[in-house]
Amino acid sequence: MIMAARLEAQYVPEPEDFDSTIGIVNFSVLKKRPEQLATPGNEIMSFEAMMLPHMDAAYNLARWLLRNDNDAQDVVQEAYLRAFRSFGGFHGSNGRPWLLTIVRNTAYTWMKKNRAVDLTSPFDEENPVLEIESANPATLLEQSEQGELVRQALDKLPAEFREILVLRHLEGLSYKEIAEVADLAPGTVMSRLARARAKLMEFLRPRRGKEI
Amino acid sequence: MNCEEAIKLVGGYLDGELDAMTSEQIELHLDGCSQCREAYEADRNLARAIRSAPYYKSPVELSRQIQSSLRAEVNGRARQKLSSHRRALYSAKESTRRLVIFGPDWSWMALAAALAVAALITFTLVPRSHQRSGEQFLATQLIASHVRSLMANHLTDVVSSDQHTVKPWLDAKLDFAPAVFDLSNDGFPLIGGRLDYLENRPVAALVYQRRKHFINLFIWPAESVMTTADKTMSRQGYQLVHWIDGDFNYWAVSDVSEGDLEAFRQAFEKQLPRR
Repeated sequence: MIMAARLEAQYVPEPEDFDSTIGIVNFSVLKKRPEQLATPGNEIMSFEAMMLPHMDAAYNLARWLLRNDNDAQDVVQEAYLRAFRSFGGFHGSNGRPWLLTIVRNTAYTWMKKNRAVDLTSPFDEENPVLEIESANPATLLEQSEQGELVRQALDKLPAEFREILVLRHLEGLSYKEIAEVADLAPGTVMSRLARARAKLMEFLRPRRGKEI
Repeated sequence: MNCEEAIKLVGGYLDGELDAMTSEQIELHLDGCSQCREAYEADRNLARAIRSAPYYKSPVELSRQIQSSLRAEVNGRARQKLSSHRRALYSAKESTRRLVIFGPDWSWMALAAALAVAALITFTLVPRSHQRSGEQFLATQLIASHVRSLMANHLTDVVSSDQHTVKPWLDAKLDFAPAVFDLSNDGFPLIGGRLDYLENRPVAALVYQRRKHFINLFIWPAESVMTTADKTMSRQGYQLVHWIDGDFNYWAVSDVSEGDLEAFRQAFEKQLPRR
């Protein structure tokens, strides 16, 4: 008898509430089952539709920050997992800065764990100037050659300068988006960009000291 | 504007981030000051040089790796949920057993309570759910079909936002000709169409998108005039809307909000020829 009663008690009909008015029948669920709200298929589909188009942007940022293909791949994959876990909290329409924020954080966490040297030791202020005779960026060099020189110079910048230049000039983000991704106060984006450009300019300036 | 101010703002001007008035002031200053002009030109050249640096495109295999790691994540979650559910069930049984053996007073009360609950369910809820069981079953089928279409990567058989592509495709495969409309203007772009099987017959499924969500609209010929009432339901976190127009049954299933799905129904009905 107890068993039978318990079996009956375990049967919980799904629509607990039922009322109808003329012509319209309303079903509604009183008790929400949160674990059923997020359906895995839906979640993956909409996440991928929103976020996979930004994979190049994610990889480009990670690759510039880590300066290594394998590490960049690991970080991007980890970042996508993290993004998926917090996708429920994403309500905006612009997925790129949101995803890039996570990529950046993942990259910094990775660097803290695996190569603290990147974050702690400041780059050499005196000696990093490239071993090139002339690097006047716009005028003297072939496109590919120039690209390679700029890459070397960017790679020698501290990460905070490197990332802001990449986000602005390669990714084309607005100051507002850069502030979001790089965790900066919106008012400080312009001045940090100015410092980053000045530092890069210094690296690219020919050793003979000729002004650009 | 003096040189000090101009130099501070020249980067923002280069990046197109200044308001119109400040931009104008900068231009005015640059026109008259060769030193600042040079600084601006240098910045512009530098920006161009940076754009010649490599843009690292993601390797092809990365996308596959990401997709499979997401699926592994979801499967892992499901397994975890299942095992914790089992644990909860097990410990609940254990405690009930102990209750029955060691606490005779409690067991009587438990029995009385269980009987009361059983009676309540028998007299109030069971007849109602029986009454609606046909509809319940259909709703379950519709939701299952919606979920399957999203999980199995089989959302659409014909992918097109063009109603004139989707409609002939469906017409050729069904013994009826459902109406197909692109509702992009109402915020529900048509993604494509699919054949599905419900109520023992092939049915048309039109797939629409609403921001991050998908809507499956199932269409098949209405067989009786009995079920003319419009219905909205909410089950398992999904919204269902049912209506009949002309000769067809329409069931829209999605995880969008009730309001959104109602807007979708209205947008679709608006397109149907008035009779």
